[in-house]
Amino acid sequence: MSDEMMHRREVLRRVALMLGGAVSAPAALAVLQGCSAKESASASAFTPKFLTGPSEMDIVTEVAEIIIPRTDTSGAKDAGVPAFIDSVLAGVYPKDAQDRFQAGLKEFAAMAATSGSKFLGREPAQRAAFVRQSLEKALEGERNPKPFILMARELTLLGFFTSKVGITENMEYVAVPTAYHGCVPLSQLKKHVYWE
Amino acid sequence: MEQNSFDAIVVGSGMSGGWAAKELTEKGLKTLVLERGRMVRHPDYPTATKDPWDLPYGNRITQETRQRKPVQTRTGYPTPANQHWFVDDLDNPYVEAQPFDWLRGYHVGGRSLMWARQSYRLSPMDFQANAKEGVGVPWPVTYDEMAPWYDKAETFAGISGSVEGLPQLPDGKFLPPFDLNCVEVDFKKRIDEKLGRKLIIGRVANLTAPLTHNESPQRGTCQSRNMCIRGCPFGGYFSSVSATLPSAERTGNMTLMANQIVYEIIYDNDKGKATGVRVLDAETGKQTDYFAKVVFLCASALGSAYIMLNSTSSRFPNGFGNDSGELGCNIMDHNKPGGSNASVEGYLDVAYTGRRPNGFYIPRYRNVGKDKRDYLRGFGYQGRAARSGFGRFNDSALIGDDLKKAFQEPGPWNLGMTAFGEILPYHENHAKLDPGRKDKHGLPLLVVNAIVRDNERKMEADMRNDAAEMLEAAGYKNVKVNSDNYNVGNSIHEMGTARMGNDPKNSVLNKYNQVHACKNVFVTDGSFMPSSGCQNPSLTYMAFTARAADHAVSELKKGNL
Repeated sequence: MSDEMMHRREVLRRVALMLGGAVSAPAALAVLQGCSAKESASASAFTPKFLTGPSEMDIVTEVAEIIIPRTDTSGAKDAGVPAFIDSVLAGVYPKDAQDRFQAGLKEFAAMAATSGSKFLGREPAQRAAFVRQSLEKALEGERNPKPFILMARELTLLGFFTSKVGITENMEYVAVPTAYHGCVPLSQLKKHVYWE
Repeated sequence: MEQNSFDAIVVGSGMSGGWAAKELTEKGLKTLVLERGRMVRHPDYPTATKDPWDLPYGNRITQETRQRKPVQTRTGYPTPANQHWFVDDLDNPYVEAQPFDWLRGYHVGGRSLMWARQSYRLSPMDFQANAKEGVGVPWPVTYDEMAPWYDKAETFAGISGSVEGLPQLPDGKFLPPFDLNCVEVDFKKRIDEKLGRKLIIGRVANLTAPLTHNESPQRGTCQSRNMCIRGCPFGGYFSSVSATLPSAERTGNMTLMANQIVYEIIYDNDKGKATGVRVLDAETGKQTDYFAKVVFLCASALGSAYIMLNSTSSRFPNGFGNDSGELGCNIMDHNKPGGSNASVEGYLDVAYTGRRPNGFYIPRYRNVGKDKRDYLRGFGYQGRAARSGFGRFNDSALIGDDLKKAFQEPGPWNLGMTAFGEILPYHENHAKLDPGRKDKHGLPLLVVNAIVRDNERKMEADMRNDAAEMLEAAGYKNVKVNSDNYNVGNSIHEMGTARMGNDPKNSVLNKYNQVHACKNVFVTDGSFMPSSGCQNPSLTYMAFTARAADHAVSELKKGNL
C-alpha cells in the first residue's frame, strides 16, 4: 500500500469522525480504492473556486445528482461532479460562458421560485420534475449558445465520465489493452461500453 | 575551437534530425545534435501512464494555457495530457501575414513525439507530376531511386500496414496491419462495389509485431492504448526519442545538446564552404560557435528556412544558398477543408476492444488512371467508424435511472472521414524575416504568408462531396458534410521552403538534399519537397534523410566536401 493511500485512509477516517460517519458508502469506497483528489474532495469539504455562496453550489450539486443519481451504482456526487463543475467553470470556461452559466443559474432558480417553490425547498421528485421540464424546454428552444441546463448537463456527463467511479462502474476500462480487436461480439465484453 | 569541432552537426532532433544523427553516427562521424528545446529521454514521458481521472479538468484546456499558447490551442490539438509538447506561443512568436497554424514542439524529439504516425510512400505518379504538368520544378529523383530508402526507413521504424498493389500508393515493408472494425469492413465493401474506390487500414508507425531487426532493444510492441501523443514508455510507436536517437547514442559518436538555438550558418567565403553554426543558449543567452565538416539542417521546413534566411554573407546576401530566390518560398501543407460523417444502422451486437491508434485510409483516386478533373492532383481520406459515446446524451432529456441504463449500452455506430488534399507549390506562398521585429533573444521574427489558391479551391468541392457520396452510396443515414475553416499549416505538414531540383537557377537543393551553392550543407526536413503529394510526408523525410546522410559520408570520404 502506498503512502499516498495510507494518507487517504487517514484523511477519510478523520473526516468520517468529524461528520459523525456521514461520508457516503460509495464515496468512502472510492477514497479507499485510491481515487483521484478530485473525488476525495467530494468526500471532504471543498471550497468552490467559481460558484459563489452555498445556494449556487447546492443547486448545481442537486441538478447534477438528479441527472446522474446514486442507485445501485455511484451518482454524480459520489464521482465528485459538483467540484469538477466548479473547477471547469473556474479554469476552462471563458468569461462569456462563465457569465452565461451564472446568469442561467439565477434564472433557473428564479423560475423554480415563481413556478411553485424554491428549487432546494422542493421534495426530490418535484426537483427532478423541474429539471426534466427545464431540459425539455431547452431542447425545444435555441441551443446556440447553450442554455444553462444543457451546460450543466454536459458538465455533469463530462465530470462523471472522467471520474474513476463513473468510468469503472459503467465501462470496461483497460489501461493496457495489449491489442486491438476490430469485431467482437458485445456478449464477450464484461461491460458493454469499452472505454476509449 | 577544438572542443567545439565535430565531423557533423545536425540541427534539430525531430523526425529528420533523429535519422540524420543515427545514420551519420553509425557511419562513424562524430556528430553534434543541437536541439533548441529541452531534453527528453526515452521512456520519461510525464503523462504517459496517467488514467483519465488523473488528468485535470476532464482533459480540457484551461484559459491560462490558452493565453500562453493561443496558436497551438486554437487548433484543438493540445490537451492537458499532451500540452507540454506544444510551444509557448508568447515566448516563440511569429507573424501571420495570412492565418497560418504553426504547430511546434520545441524539445528533443520535436514533433516526432506528437505525430499521427501515418506513413505512406509517395508514388511514381507523385514524383512525375511536376514535370508532366509543368508545375514548380521537376523532382530530381525517381520513385525507383527512392524505393530502397523507403524500405530501409520502414524496416527500421516499423510500419504496420496491408499490401494492396495500388500504383498510386506503393506497398512497403510492413508489419501486420491493424484490424478494420466491423463497420469499416462493411464500408470498404460497399464503396468498392458501388464506386470502385479502395479503403485500406492506415499504414502507421506502430509495432503490431516485434521489429524485424535487433537494432532497437528499447522498443516493445504497441499495446493499443492510443495514447501515443503523450510519448510511449513501451516504445510502441516510432519517434526519434524512442528509436533513432537511442541508436545514435549507442554508437558513442553522438553529442546531443538541448536548449541550443541555432540561428546562423557560418560560411567561409574563401573555402566556399560552411564551417559551422552559431548558437544561442535558450536559457543563458550565451553565444557559441560550433564547427564541423558537414551540416545537416533538420529544423523543420520553416525552422531551417529561418536559419538560412538569417545567414547572410557577401556570397549569400539574400540568405544561405539562395541564388535562386526560392528560399522560404513554395510553402505547402495539405489542404483540409472538411469531410463528412454519417450514422450507421445495425451492427449493434458487435464492438471492438483495445484502442486502435489508427484509422482507415482511402487513397487518392482523383486524376488517377482514366479519372480526369478540372484541377490537378488529388486527395485522400482518413477516418474511422466507432460506436458513439456519452456525448450523445449532451442534448437529451434523459435523466436518472433512464439515463444510467442508456449510458451502460454503447451508442449507435457512426463513421466520419476527413480529406487531405495536395497543395501545389506557389512561389508567392512564402516566409521571410522581419528585421524590425525581434523575439526575446533579439532574433528577427519569421513572417509567414501562405494561402490556398485556385487549384485547391476547385478540389475542395470534390473533397467534401465525394465523402458524402460514399457515405450515401453505403446507405448510411444523417450524412453531414463538414466545411472546416482551414489555415495553411493546420495539417502540420508544412514543406517546400528549400526545394530540390536539377537546376540551381530555380531550386535550392540538389537531388541529394545538398545546397547547390554550398555542398557541405544538407537540408533534409520537409524543406526539400518540390511537391506535396496528398500523403502524410514523414516517411518520405526519413527516406531522404537516410539517403542524404549516406551521400554525405561517401562524399566526405572522397574528399568532395
